[in-house]
Amino acid sequence: MSFLRSIASGLRSLFRKKQVDSDLDEELNGFLEMAAEEKMKQGMGRKHALRAVRLERGSLEVTKEEVRSAGWESFVETCWQDLRFAVRMLLKSPGFTAVAVLTLALGIGANTAIFSLVNGVLLRPLPYRNPNRLMMVWEKSRDGSPENVGYATYLDWKSQNKSFEEIAIYSSWQPALQVGEPEQLSGLRVTSNYFRTLGIHPEIGRDFLPEEDVPNANKVVMLSHSLWQRKFNSDPNIVGKPINMNATQYIVAGVLPARYQSLMNQDPRGGAVEIWRVLGYDVSQPWACRTCHHLVAIGRLRDGVAITQANAEMDTIAAALSKAYPKEYDDIGVILTPIREQLLGPASTPLYILLGAVSFVLLVACANLANLLLSRATHREREVAVRTALGATRGRIIRQLLAENCFLGLLGAAAGLIPAYWTPKVLASVGAGDLPRLDQVQLDWQVLLFTVGVALLTGIAAGLAPAYRLLKNNMHDSLKEGMRGSGSVASRRLRGLLIVSEVALSLTLLIGAGLLLRSLSRLLVVSPGFDPSNVLSMQTSVLGQRFNDNAIVRQYFADAVERLRALPGVQSAAAASQIPLAGNMDRYGFHVEGKMHANPEEDPSAQRYCITPGFLETMRIPLLRGRDISLADRATAPQVLLVSETTARRMWPGEDPIGKRVKLGGVDQPWWTVVGITGDVHHVGLDADPDMQMYIPHQQWPFPDGLMVFVIRAASTPAAISSAAQQAIHSIDATQPISRIMPLESYVGLSVQGRKFALILIGAFAAIALTLSVVGIYGVTAYSVAQRTREIGIRIALGAQRGELLGLLLRQGMLLVVCGVIAGVISSVALTRFLATMLFDVQPTDRLTFAGVVLLLVAVSAVACFLPARRAMRVDPIIALRYE
Amino acid sequence: MAEKPSDLVQGTLDMLILKTLALEPMHGYGIAVRLEQMSDGVFRLNAGSLFVAFQRLQRTGLIKSEWKATENSRRAKYYALTEQGRKRLNSETREWGRQVAAIARILEAS
Repeated sequence: MSFLRSIASGLRSLFRKKQVDSDLDEELNGFLEMAAEEKMKQGMGRKHALRAVRLERGSLEVTKEEVRSAGWESFVETCWQDLRFAVRMLLKSPGFTAVAVLTLALGIGANTAIFSLVNGVLLRPLPYRNPNRLMMVWEKSRDGSPENVGYATYLDWKSQNKSFEEIAIYSSWQPALQVGEPEQLSGLRVTSNYFRTLGIHPEIGRDFLPEEDVPNANKVVMLSHSLWQRKFNSDPNIVGKPINMNATQYIVAGVLPARYQSLMNQDPRGGAVEIWRVLGYDVSQPWACRTCHHLVAIGRLRDGVAITQANAEMDTIAAALSKAYPKEYDDIGVILTPIREQLLGPASTPLYILLGAVSFVLLVACANLANLLLSRATHREREVAVRTALGATRGRIIRQLLAENCFLGLLGAAAGLIPAYWTPKVLASVGAGDLPRLDQVQLDWQVLLFTVGVALLTGIAAGLAPAYRLLKNNMHDSLKEGMRGSGSVASRRLRGLLIVSEVALSLTLLIGAGLLLRSLSRLLVVSPGFDPSNVLSMQTSVLGQRFNDNAIVRQYFADAVERLRALPGVQSAAAASQIPLAGNMDRYGFHVEGKMHANPEEDPSAQRYCITPGFLETMRIPLLRGRDISLADRATAPQVLLVSETTARRMWPGEDPIGKRVKLGGVDQPWWTVVGITGDVHHVGLDADPDMQMYIPHQQWPFPDGLMVFVIRAASTPAAISSAAQQAIHSIDATQPISRIMPLESYVGLSVQGRKFALILIGAFAAIALTLSVVGIYGVTAYSVAQRTREIGIRIALGAQRGELLGLLLRQGMLLVVCGVIAGVISSVALTRFLATMLFDVQPTDRLTFAGVVLLLVAVSAVACFLPARRAMRVDPIIALRYE
Repeated sequence: MAEKPSDLVQGTLDMLILKTLALEPMHGYGIAVRLEQMSDGVFRLNAGSLFVAFQRLQRTGLIKSEWKATENSRRAKYYALTEQGRKRLNSETREWGRQVAAIARILEAS
């Protein structure tokens, strides 16, 4: 309570200053008058009495000052005075202020931008209830990597475990919404407890019911808020209405809240998940096998159950299952991954590297500002000395100097917020690769708080050293005209140390940028194994009753390819179930005749492309041996396939693969004969070695793929044929949605976008740091030249050679640079290994990069030293001697 | 500089003011004079320390003030103990007695 009263009373004296002052005045006057009257009663004259009282009790003014400065509000008041004084001082030297603010703005702006990125992507809480209890649940594969689960396994897990409150599963689903223009949506098929597991409640409507999660029940869907707005005009009565997708009727169960955005689909090419349907798994189907790993499981741990405990229990269950079905499991356990790690883990390493890099920029800016302040301190020594002589205490002077620096810092923060405001837009245009939640990157109060905090910290840190130096100086020396206190050894050493650290930090950043640049240039010359130029790709899927017949599906795609080929400006066209570098992940296990393992589960798998004839030609994938598939390989002809070079080498070392036979999928499938060997393509990324690949004729595959990607090679640019190609496909059936209309080159570009993003940012940071350091080096050399003008004049007058003098002046600056370079190389060797995951084909300690960067830095620094030194050479000895 | 009550044991000024006000509300000068009289002139306080103490006591809610006319029909600010101030005076007096007795014992022992 007394605390509150103290605040209230303090505020009163702050804001009703006059009234409080006159109150105190009157009271004190009364006090002194009464004391004087006492004295006058003893026979003193009034004048003498008043004087005696003043001597005894203290004068009115002194007392008032004492009372006033006793409360906390006086501290606020002097702070306010300090701030006003700081503004006046900074306005007096606009040049200094501009350079300082610009330095800070660069450092703080870069940091704010990266922090807003990290804040949006990593720090913001996940949109689930208690997200740290959510775990991805994987089967552990033979090589220890996580693997999807089969439905039967899921059911056993669910009924046997005691660690999880709920386990749900999902798999991806791409329905075509036939409302208005047909549109391919990104969706998920989920068990009815999926939203309950995540802890999300529909905003309108209801959650899925368990009785709906059976085959052939009513098909119900959940809509995302964005889909509801976009396609259904936010219809408040949407719940219970039927919508048509894939020529099937679905009933809308509910709409999810706007703040929930699905993070489950992170493929930047696929778009966010906007629709969910009940899984309704049919266990009688052949794909319900225990070895069919095509579902993803997610579970919520019970309160009080630790991950290790849950993992141990799940391992026990898995071991029992493996015993009961020895032929169907090669897995030796279960892997639990916290959902945060699953969703944000891959993004966190590059982001934390960026955060580290950008903090280096801030340190460089801080060192630079400290240097600026040190040279300014020279000019202010007398001012401080005068103030000390007039009775200012040490604390008061430090406070005043810090107020000035904090104000500078805040100015820098204000300027630095301008680039941060544009961060989201810049991110969108640069393309940040596959970072999740980029839409959540924005300037909010957390970012503002961070910026202001960083600004104040920078201001204070940069100001402490100069303030300390100012106070250590001898007041008497400073007061004397013509003395130069700050030429002192300690001050010079401090400035040298700042330059050395600036150079070291910049060098580290430059080396990081150099390594990334070399990685990217190495990566860009990697051939993807196909020729993406002038090829347009578009995806379509066939849906509806009509396409329940396999023959019709085959015919549809054959016709579509035929029509595309007939278009003017089209050189060739084909369709495939998946294309390289597009984020597709279709793999099939296969069994080579005569080389099967006792447990067929141990046989290898390959990327499977189900293609129409002409795919190799359109993609310009080389045929190395044998023949390509042709129109003659129809459904009734003997089943043939092509294998890639890597497949041939791994499966038939030293043998001719042509004529060999393999089974795809289960061991009960028919044999397929290898008729040709193709070149390898990079399927996952340019930075990943090509894996095994197989090409199967779409006409011969027993369940022809309904979702296919057309590739069309144009004579000129892909854009020229885009609309004609869509019309050609729609001319067969206008109800089929076409999506992902994209030149193949864009897929190649997307696959290196993440690296480009990191390179652009770290490169920009390195450039800022280098610029700041060069300015710092220039400043120090120029300052020392200015200080030594007289000495230089004397030397010239005494006949020193100009070259010798130049060397003398350069040596000082370059010595600092060399020290900085050594420190920088050491710190780089220690730090670049954190970059290792982002490098490609380049060692973290790549000698060429190190040498190149060191050379660049030394050359630029030499110029920065040379310019002021050369100016000194032009000094006229007569003027120099008269200097001062 | 006016003389400081450095001869006053740290922190005791507040207690003495509270004690002075325990009898009746008084104005600043009255308090100063009473303190001098009661201490036989040992404590001669300057206005600064006195008024800083008034401000402090008022802010912690131990005393309150009011403008009133003096016996010489002059306007003066009268200070009075609050209920809280009275309690504090009691507890401080007790504590003081304990400490003085303890110190005295130590001094006698040597």
